[in-house]
Amino acid sequence: MSLQNILQDWSKYRKGNEEGGFHDYEHLWGLAIDLNKCIGCNACSVACYAENNLAVVGKDKFAKHQEMHWLRVERYWDEPDLGEQAVSDYQSHGASFLPMMCQQCMAATCEPVCPVAATYHTPDGLNAQVYNRCIGSRYCSNNCPYRLRYFNFYSYYEDSWPAPLNMQLNPDLTVRDKGVMEKCTFCVQRIRAAKDVAKHEHRELQDGEFTTACAQTCPTQAIVFGDLLSLHTAGKAESTLSTLWRDQQVELGRTEQHKQNPDKRGYRVLEGLNTDPKVMYLERVREV
Amino acid sequence: MALDKIKRRDFLKIMGWGGAGATLAGCDMPTTVTLEEGKEEVVSYLVPEEYVIPGIGVWYASTCQQCAAGCGVHGRVREGRVLKLEGNPESAVNSGALCQMGQSALQTHYNPDRIQQPLLRSGGALKKVSWDEALAQLQQKAGGRSAWVTGTISGHQAVLLDAYVKATQARHYPVEVVGSPVWNRVCQDMLGDANPRLRIDEADLIVSFGADFLGTWNSPVHFSRQYARFRQGPKRGMLIQIEPAMTLTGANADLWLAIRPGTEGVFALGVANVLVDRYQTSIAGLPADAQKAIRLYTPDHVKDITGVSVDQLMKVAELLKKRGNSLVLAGSTAEGHSYGYQSVASIMLLNILLGNVGKTLQANVHAPAQLAPRVGNTANLVAFAEAAAAGNIDVAFFYGSNPLYLAPQSLGLKGKLDKVGFKVALSSFMDETTAQADLVLPLASALEDWGSHVGAYQNGELQVSIQQPLMEKLYPETRGFGDVMLGLLKQRQVREFALYEDYYAYLRNAVAAMPAALNKAGGNAWNNALQHGVVALNAGSGALRPRAVSLPQPEMAAGDDGYPYHLVPSARLGLWDGRHANIPWLQEAPDQITKVVWDSWVELHPTTAAKLGVARGDTVKIASKAGAIEAKVYVYKGIHPDAIGVPLGQGHDEYGRYAKGRGVNPLSILNDTKDQTTGELALHATRVQLSRTAGKPGDKLVLMGGSESQLGRKMVATVKAEVFARSEGDA
Repeated sequence: MSLQNILQDWSKYRKGNEEGGFHDYEHLWGLAIDLNKCIGCNACSVACYAENNLAVVGKDKFAKHQEMHWLRVERYWDEPDLGEQAVSDYQSHGASFLPMMCQQCMAATCEPVCPVAATYHTPDGLNAQVYNRCIGSRYCSNNCPYRLRYFNFYSYYEDSWPAPLNMQLNPDLTVRDKGVMEKCTFCVQRIRAAKDVAKHEHRELQDGEFTTACAQTCPTQAIVFGDLLSLHTAGKAESTLSTLWRDQQVELGRTEQHKQNPDKRGYRVLEGLNTDPKVMYLERVREV
Repeated sequence: MALDKIKRRDFLKIMGWGGAGATLAGCDMPTTVTLEEGKEEVVSYLVPEEYVIPGIGVWYASTCQQCAAGCGVHGRVREGRVLKLEGNPESAVNSGALCQMGQSALQTHYNPDRIQQPLLRSGGALKKVSWDEALAQLQQKAGGRSAWVTGTISGHQAVLLDAYVKATQARHYPVEVVGSPVWNRVCQDMLGDANPRLRIDEADLIVSFGADFLGTWNSPVHFSRQYARFRQGPKRGMLIQIEPAMTLTGANADLWLAIRPGTEGVFALGVANVLVDRYQTSIAGLPADAQKAIRLYTPDHVKDITGVSVDQLMKVAELLKKRGNSLVLAGSTAEGHSYGYQSVASIMLLNILLGNVGKTLQANVHAPAQLAPRVGNTANLVAFAEAAAAGNIDVAFFYGSNPLYLAPQSLGLKGKLDKVGFKVALSSFMDETTAQADLVLPLASALEDWGSHVGAYQNGELQVSIQQPLMEKLYPETRGFGDVMLGLLKQRQVREFALYEDYYAYLRNAVAAMPAALNKAGGNAWNNALQHGVVALNAGSGALRPRAVSLPQPEMAAGDDGYPYHLVPSARLGLWDGRHANIPWLQEAPDQITKVVWDSWVELHPTTAAKLGVARGDTVKIASKAGAIEAKVYVYKGIHPDAIGVPLGQGHDEYGRYAKGRGVNPLSILNDTKDQTTGELALHATRVQLSRTAGKPGDKLVLMGGSESQLGRKMVATVKAEVFARSEGDA
């Protein structure tokens, strides 16, 4: 990848995004997470460990922030929108939970900085990470405003999965080795499997015929996974997720949403950075 | 059979045999190796089952055994290994969802610290023996007076256990520390149903006194499902949580009220007082002392006792009166005192006064007595300790419970166990109790075993959940619990069970033989049970009969200057009562509230921390009259200044590489106060003192990284409920 190419592609890509241009995508996988329903129980995160062969690093490495949880549940104590915590003696509206996984940005800040194009945008609209191309520069991780990329500082195979724990490893994806960056893939192995099945059966993928591990296990069904392409493709049957986004008046390709109904709760985290994430959150609700 | 009828697969089978033979002949295998002997070495799955396709996962239904809720699971099996668990959508308990403990059942199954062979104590140490030797020992010893200590047990395992207990005239002590025994007793006494059906989804307002129904209370996944409906439009329910230290449910409350530990019942009576005084609620039908108690607790009086302001009390009462269907719950923090029964009864009284009985509290269905769960509690732990101390037990069996870890030191269980002649542990892991056993019978994991289960909490639909093995046993020398029980029953020559070769045969027969009037599905009962993972049963439910009980004045322990703080040992959806401390995923999963990993911690309110001069990460010593523990401090405003919270789960002396020697166990320093009515251990009645200590050098409190503050950014945006009502509600 020459410098010229990078610069050329970069401006084209940035511009294309501002014009709301969606070019030749086959899918645009996205999520909606309702923070009115999310209880912060962490089931999604452990389901992700089980599905995606995530390493357990142990206390010492965790202390150095070398943990590998692709999906973490953030917990904040302050509520800037309510603005009264500072004076209260107690945490009187509870906690604020935020499940954070790769936001699969349409204008991903991680992608253009990769010196070897190990991270790139797929025709499914995902930020893919090509493990065997990754050289471990960690530029992508530095550039991710959500801190959602995780680097293998070590080989975890023996420490994390002493026999027979290794028998649980999901053979549909790899165990990443030292020196490689990894992150949430929206369970790309499930996407791949569902596509293969659909292809064998000579049909289109159906909305809801598969979902990610986190959405599947969620006790409150706060997480909805699906295809956003139908928002941008005339004549395509609308997915549940697209309906949700449309109903919440959240659009891709914007750094700021202009909602007709300002009461709608949909928003994207740090969207002002023009990362154009494909994860929509629905605001937490409290009786005050 | 005509040649053209040979199926393709049969043809391939024939060809496969030929091919394998050729392979064997081709290499330097000794000629004595027959095809039959050598086939495993040649190609595994040479003749796979019809449905096994390499590379394709097949899902089987089973039942989660990580807690007693009894969620149905589907296990993904590929090439003979179970790889992933998901909730079974057909289960009425969890409707397809699973919590993090359920997800982690895989790591209990594949845990590297499982016991693989029977062990017998000889010369002070546990030595490997064969099953024949082990069972011979057992037959020799098992003549005397015996006792069984188990966790909550239900279904056909309970049938076998009952039969054995009856045949040996033993006593059965089901023990659990995380549960709701006092709540169940109060429900039995005041509603006529120990486990009423809770309609969280139908409520417009829930006031919960420490009932952590999203985390650790009865059937958390089921309640979480209901909670999602409770929170959605058009009429979003409101949740008020009143407790001394924040639980997961408290963290999701609209209004979280910190209350002085042990005063929950007083607050409830104060609410009743306001209902009577301000909203003309009639209490004429109540027993005289209940009326007297309600009159006594005026708002000002309640404020002085509970530490909750009069305004907040008024607000709770007003909401209860005006906000449609309400539901009032009481959890372990209300239960865990010497007057726990009165507290919970006072709280339940609100449900009666507000007319919730029959609306948000409904009559429930109940399993036939043989299959119904024998729900564990701590009164049984105390009773077992007393029986052991009295020298009344010759042989003690332990299964699914770890009493030496759970019992406070003040019960002196360890010393008392020495008086038990022979201790038998049926266990997969070398936990504290198993390590003291004389005979260890290694059990197959829950994912390798057969069983049937009935959740302690039903939701109006009665189902028996079927547990079937999701893979071959990892260790050939382990046995399923049902198989062990059948073996023991045969030793005692109990005739009904002599027919069955193994537990599978028994269970299959028992399910197939269920009367058609009971089994809703009909047809081929066994195949249906395996396919769906649940057997839906016909069950009637009566009606609740509300009846107020007498409420004598509780005698609250006077403050003790030497021990100024209340210890709150809080259960967590994660390590639970310590049984999941050997699961690396759950050790690495940050605590929902504090985000601490791989450790214990002490929750302090900022004013308490300031008084002691400690900050996050400093070490404090917590001393009760029964003992002392040390842990690092986490400071936040989710706890009452008089309370200090320490989570359950860590502090194991045994239990494998992930659990051993990590953190502290707050149960160990509890005093032996009991609830006077139910005899349950008063888990929240221990007073402690705090002092700063140096702590172990280099030992840090490790939390999930990142900021606890949003720093003014829109990370978690919060809107007020009126906005929600405008956009998704009926406003």
